[in-house]
Amino acid sequence: MKITIDNREITVLEGETILQAATRAGISIPSMCYSDGRKHKEGCMVCVVKDLASGQIVPSCVTTAKEGMQIDASSNEVLGQRRIALELLLSDHRADCEAPCTLVCPHGLDVEQFLAAYDNGAFEEARAILKRAFTSLPTIACDECKAPCEKACRRGSIDKSVAIRDIIHEVAAMESLSDVEAAPSKAKIGKDEFFSRIGIFSNDEKARLKESVNTPSRCLHCACDGRVDCRLRAYSKELGVKRSRYGISTKQSVKLTIDVNEHLRFEPSKCIRCGLCVYNTDNGFTFIGRGFDMKVVIPEENKCNAYDELAQICPTGAIYLK
Amino acid sequence: MGCENCNSNHELDRQRLIQRVDAIIERIGSTRQMTIPLLQALQEEFSYLPSDALNRVYEKTEINRAHLLSVATFYAQFKMVPYGKHIIKVCIGTACHVKGANLVYEAFKRELQLNEDSITTPDGKYSLEKIACLGCCALAPVVQIDDKIYSYVQPGKVREVLQQHDEYIKTKPKNDEQHNARGEEYVGEVRLGMENCCQVSGNAEVYKALLKAQEELGVAIKIKPISCVGACNQIPMIDVVDKNGTITRYPNIRPKEVKEILLHHFPSASPLRRLKNAFLNQVDMFHTDETWDNILWKPEKERTGEINNFLNIQKRISTEGYGIISPLDIDEYRANGGFEALKKALHDGNRDAIIESILQSGLRGKGGGGFLTGRKWRMVADAESEEKYIICNGDEGDPGAFMDRILLESYPLRVIEGMLIAAYTVGASKGIFYIRAEYPQAVIRVTKALDMCRRQGLLGDNILQSGFSFDIEIFKGAGAFVCGEETALIASIEGRRGFPSRRPPYPAERGLFGKPTLINNVETLSQITYIVNYGAEQYTEVGTPNSRGTKVFALAGKVRHGGLIEVPMGTTIRQIVEDIGGGIEGGEKLKAVQIGGPSGGCIPAELCDAEIDFDALTRLGAIMGSGGMVVLSESDCMVDVARYFLRFTSEESCGKCTFCRVGIRRMLDILDKLCTGRGTMEDIDRLEELAHTVRSSALCGLGRTAPNPVLATLRYFREEYEEHVRGICRTGTCKDMVKYVVTDKCIGCTKCSKVCPVEAIDYKPYEQHHIDIEKCTMCGLCIDECEFDAIKKISLKSE
Repeated sequence: MKITIDNREITVLEGETILQAATRAGISIPSMCYSDGRKHKEGCMVCVVKDLASGQIVPSCVTTAKEGMQIDASSNEVLGQRRIALELLLSDHRADCEAPCTLVCPHGLDVEQFLAAYDNGAFEEARAILKRAFTSLPTIACDECKAPCEKACRRGSIDKSVAIRDIIHEVAAMESLSDVEAAPSKAKIGKDEFFSRIGIFSNDEKARLKESVNTPSRCLHCACDGRVDCRLRAYSKELGVKRSRYGISTKQSVKLTIDVNEHLRFEPSKCIRCGLCVYNTDNGFTFIGRGFDMKVVIPEENKCNAYDELAQICPTGAIYLK
Repeated sequence: MGCENCNSNHELDRQRLIQRVDAIIERIGSTRQMTIPLLQALQEEFSYLPSDALNRVYEKTEINRAHLLSVATFYAQFKMVPYGKHIIKVCIGTACHVKGANLVYEAFKRELQLNEDSITTPDGKYSLEKIACLGCCALAPVVQIDDKIYSYVQPGKVREVLQQHDEYIKTKPKNDEQHNARGEEYVGEVRLGMENCCQVSGNAEVYKALLKAQEELGVAIKIKPISCVGACNQIPMIDVVDKNGTITRYPNIRPKEVKEILLHHFPSASPLRRLKNAFLNQVDMFHTDETWDNILWKPEKERTGEINNFLNIQKRISTEGYGIISPLDIDEYRANGGFEALKKALHDGNRDAIIESILQSGLRGKGGGGFLTGRKWRMVADAESEEKYIICNGDEGDPGAFMDRILLESYPLRVIEGMLIAAYTVGASKGIFYIRAEYPQAVIRVTKALDMCRRQGLLGDNILQSGFSFDIEIFKGAGAFVCGEETALIASIEGRRGFPSRRPPYPAERGLFGKPTLINNVETLSQITYIVNYGAEQYTEVGTPNSRGTKVFALAGKVRHGGLIEVPMGTTIRQIVEDIGGGIEGGEKLKAVQIGGPSGGCIPAELCDAEIDFDALTRLGAIMGSGGMVVLSESDCMVDVARYFLRFTSEESCGKCTFCRVGIRRMLDILDKLCTGRGTMEDIDRLEELAHTVRSSALCGLGRTAPNPVLATLRYFREEYEEHVRGICRTGTCKDMVKYVVTDKCIGCTKCSKVCPVEAIDYKPYEQHHIDIEKCTMCGLCIDECEFDAIKKISLKSE
């Protein structure tokens, strides 16, 4: 059986969906709610294509390929629909991909990762990260710097910014760690890359975060733990989405994390309700409510039915390994 | 420290609860498929879903926690917390919305002193909630308390309604069945509508007055409750049929007029009684002047002129026998040709011929889609399967529509017959009536009608000795608009969340439990018997080439005579508004007619000469929809109307696909911005782009049609959107853009000051009053109260 995708004729197997056939033929169609070999239901609408015969926009992940189908998977119209789908998902996705402090550091220090190590008491690791940016420790560049990191710090909107420079000084002065090797260098984050933004904290959120975040550094750790394999970010970048034009007005409380088991953590404000975790656990995650207020939750009693692989199945950083 | 006694009591309570839960599980079943009926039964038993009861369900059934939570929180019917003793449901359907339902809701909230988040009063007496539509649109605004409906509830009448309800509870009649205890022969008949809405409008009182008068006069009259007449605005109304069969109609009567009317038509049998009555009547006449202005003495034309206009251009197919037949009198139905069509179909045994004739009749699905019914039947008939299902879709969720409710309550037998013919034709062995739980009366009527049919051998094994076996059961919808969509409806019968799924496969190929399933709307099925009885040709004589037959509409809004109407396709919208509806109430001008509810659009007054026709309406940006028709006047804000529908769809969206779940919400955000005067011109463009995207790409029909109210109002009333950007709402509907002021018409009577719930009007007798806009909540009570029309809403900004 043959179909045409973007004027290219490809062979499809019986019962295959357009998405599967395209993937096999090396045509990439983005999809959030589809995961190969897993149970899934169409919903994200990022995989839409146009059936040229009927003129209908259809989700390619559930549309079975039929002999002679002509599919448009790359016209501006189709890409526009995908872009809007992503923008809509992003408008309901309260998370920072990267921490603002890290993004603005003129010396390329991964501030957030550094603070994370510091908060964990892993001073060696913190020192190694520091060494990567500042090669001539204990001399650091921060003394001359106007500290955009502290200005960008989200904690500043709650009470007072994290005293980043003081902490850097503290670690830099730890002479016992002078032998620590610099951490391997990382690809620099391009300024033109796509970043999701967490938006403004509500008063309730401010009060809660002020109360609950009291690590040594007081850092909120804005960077997303699941960002490495986040498809929402990857596709947004691919399709040239800079930021959602629809503002961020989700009701999901920001930075609220739920420990599912020893390794697994769930952060609802990053969830895009694709349902992969719901369909792929037996009496585990579930939907509650409907419409815009529909949420994914895991009842306390069901936590035992979650498993670590869900971190990979989740297309965003909503479920991740600690 | 725990008290042992209490603990053991608590344990005892828990044991009892578990026994009750176990009995329910025993009765309903323990499979996943039974999730919704099980939850409904639990809620009926406990009035909410107690967590101990749910825990027992996890233990005893194959329904697990994840599944149960996802289903119980999807449907609006289920409550996880106990409610107050009396539940006040404020209808916010379209018709009620344009008549100020939100102000009514706010007024209840104030009266019951509920704060922002609470819905139940501290003493647990009342709970307050909004409900999508009670289906009494012609009586808007309506409020339901427990099982009783109150009509025309204005914000100022809230306290009165609560008092009335207290009275009602005390005097609630135990049994209002009528008896002809003396066993005498009837001298005549009095017919009156006893549907829920008729009772609300005063027929209940008239009914009581009839019983009393009959007793006093000593005559045996058959008092016959009949199906809906549709003329909701003319109720209370009775038809008197005398010995000779002459019918005299009395619309808008008062209970106290009843006796006089009966006396006029039915003289007492015994001469002594007659003398006594005549004497008493004379006394009455001298003592009161009631007898003089009795409706009885008004000339025929004055009495019934308006109602005749209302009924004249209508055509009865779905509502055949209206005003004559009793909904549940099966013998009468049969005497009037009922079940003849079924007999004919079974006798001829030619299934193809029936499908052919349905195809030829051009009958199209009346539930909204307008798909050719015959083609659907053919698909199911051709599908190869041992088992096939037929579902009658009565999940009428449109706010502003009540056609299906009336058809099910008033003509259940006709719908059942249509369903039987359909089942026989396509080879279905099992039928399901899917009826909204918000329509308890319809559920009761259909249940009774099905029992009667079973008793008469019209349902069950070997129907009418034809060898055809078929039975029907009822499934109560649990409150989700999206379940009107075929695939979502199937999901809910299967005990799942009402998530639609992509078609194809169509339910006709793979539907309920994977079997071929025919799903037809109530109204569609109610037209089948006509076609079978009279033939496709006669049916095609009614209507337009693309849209044959008739369409039932629920006419409501700013029209003088609302009600349930059935008109031939091809009638113009203006004819409906002007001739049937009697024009716009209060002397205002027609602005637009909203057709098709949340999936439809507004047709502006200048285009109202358009004919009712599936394709014509679609061209105009509306849809036929299920048949809600809400008339809007110059005082209705079109941006607010669009916002109203989007709020509805965003609440009713199932949440499965991004375009509907987030897209509609974002459109609503933009409309909220516009209606509070914070919008920009770019917002209008973004709104339009998003509307087009959702329309082309959402997963199901609900999502794809949800932007229609926005697109249609943008198309015809764009200038109003632009005005809102400039901060002006010309109708004064959008609260954030207007203020209330007292004009110099004020004579200083202080009435407004007394009625104001927030003391925003100073109390200075004989001086022009002044409204403190800081305090004013714009509840509208002062406007209603002022007899001098001295309080106006004006825009904060001016052009």
